[in-house]
Amino acid sequence: MLVQELLNAVLIGGIYAAIGIGFSLVYGVMNLLNLVHGAIIMLAGYVTYSLFARLGLDPFLSIPVTMGAFFVVGYGLQRFVINRILTASVFMSLILTYGIDLVIVNIVLLVWKTDLLAVTPSYAGASWAIGGLVVSKIRVAIFVVSAALTALMYVFLDGTRTGRAIRAAALDKEAAELVGVDTPGIYAVTYGLSSALAAAAGSMLATIYTLTPTLDGIYLGKAFVVAVLGGLGNITGAAVGGLVLSFAESLGVVVLGPSYQEIIGFGIFLVVLILRPYGLVGRRFYAEI
Amino acid sequence: MTPDALLAIERLDVAYGEIQVLWEVDLEIARGEVVALLGPNGAGKTTLLRAVAGLLRPRAGRIVWDGAPLDGVPASRVVARGLALVPEGRRLFAGMTVAENLTMGAYRRTDGRAAVSADLEWVFELFPELAARRRQQAGALSGGEQQMCAIGRGLMTKPRLLMLDELSLGLSPVAVDRIVAMLAAAHRTRGMAMLIVEQDVRMALELARRAYILETGRITRGDEARRLIDDPRVKKAYLGL
Ligand SMILES: Nc1ncnc2c1ncn2[C@@H]1O[C@H](COP(=O)(O)OP(=O)(O)OP(=O)(O)O)[C@@H](O)[C@H]1O
Ligand SMILES: [Mg+2]
Repeated sequence: MLVQELLNAVLIGGIYAAIGIGFSLVYGVMNLLNLVHGAIIMLAGYVTYSLFARLGLDPFLSIPVTMGAFFVVGYGLQRFVINRILTASVFMSLILTYGIDLVIVNIVLLVWKTDLLAVTPSYAGASWAIGGLVVSKIRVAIFVVSAALTALMYVFLDGTRTGRAIRAAALDKEAAELVGVDTPGIYAVTYGLSSALAAAAGSMLATIYTLTPTLDGIYLGKAFVVAVLGGLGNITGAAVGGLVLSFAESLGVVVLGPSYQEIIGFGIFLVVLILRPYGLVGRRFYAEI
Repeated sequence: MTPDALLAIERLDVAYGEIQVLWEVDLEIARGEVVALLGPNGAGKTTLLRAVAGLLRPRAGRIVWDGAPLDGVPASRVVARGLALVPEGRRLFAGMTVAENLTMGAYRRTDGRAAVSADLEWVFELFPELAARRRQQAGALSGGEQQMCAIGRGLMTKPRLLMLDELSLGLSPVAVDRIVAMLAAAHRTRGMAMLIVEQDVRMALELARRAYILETGRITRGDEARRLIDDPRVKKAYLGL
């Protein structure tokens, strides 16, 4: 029972990490608490549902579709809307992103109504039985894809010209501009990448959790907890944070019962905020990614 | 205005909101010329450099670069035109390595990888200290090494004008001497113009051919460096003699 739960935790931790990294990246680069993040995950889930129900597209094959589409949406949102208020107060950006979240929720209500929807490919219930453990094939696939995307993101930020520009803009906006980085454009790319990661997560989560129009808040909460556990703005930290959260939730379920799952997550979140506000993985330099 | 000036600033007014800091500033730099900008704390030296670099929008006046207006051009495009600012406080990307910081200097260059890596090797030759620490995080460098890295990053933009804001700040005299010698060497090989803002007036007047004095937002003098050195008023106010 315990081992089974821990196994599930590792598998879910991958996708938590993917969610948290995008959220943390946006905060680290442009100091924006992006309240739209959960709504993007949710909306990508609904899009995946429609692609599956209407066109029979496999949810994993819809990942490139939702990633591409949400990269474009995110890029445009940052370029033409969010960039305009970035220099205003924090409250402005909170109000704006909350507003965008509400718009997305209402789009979902309009298009998909409040029905509970599920993406159920033929292999949805398939599993391997290994030494008494049930290993869900779909969860393994989700873990592998999440880990691959997270690694790709890391390689991109570390080794490409644009990735370096994103890190430079995060570390010192003016210094980045002084060497020629067009920060509004780089912010748009960053938001696009974050949205694309969120979309991939949304497509995959739709195969294990039923879609409801209230998922935006739940997913935003997870992203926020994971990002804070790792240290807001810290990409490596967010990967660790994803695993820590999923382990904590699983242990909570085993020890205290299923109804405690959410409380455990937020409990750890509070403790970390109080004791280690810079996250579990300390960082030497401000805003280091 | 001299017709072939590299940089010509004409009657420039700069303000932070309602608070005006620069009044009718005129300043000129010829191709390859080394010019010092001196003045007491709070005179507006940094403000002037930031306005030229495109980080601040002037309220009035003109900035002409190589014959074309530079007003309203954002900082990220100013650097592509050959103007680089090594900012006050160095402003390195602390979480990046020395090599990455220098490479960031070449972000906007379009003259090819080979030219960029040749320049990188040149900067490492100029500052052997940096070569030895190229994989180290820039935030872990000593003050002098950080300044070298900041200058190196500025040089990597391949500037025709390099503006240096208080490069001696917080450094030992030995470190300053070393950096100045390297800067002079860079100037000899590349021939770029330089605008040097300094508290270390003696050092600035050694490097520069001409100098301007900025006091409470206005240029009060502009003259040959050696004439300023011999001026009793300048001696008293800036050289502590
Ligand atoms: N961001 C800002 N907002 C408002 N006022 C500013 C700002 N930056 C500088 N000032 C003011 O503008 C004036 C000129 O400042 P500036 O930094 O340009 O002077 P400086 O000559 O570089 O001084 P220092 O030698 O101390 O570096 C000062 O009175 C300063 O208080
Ligand atoms: Mg200054």
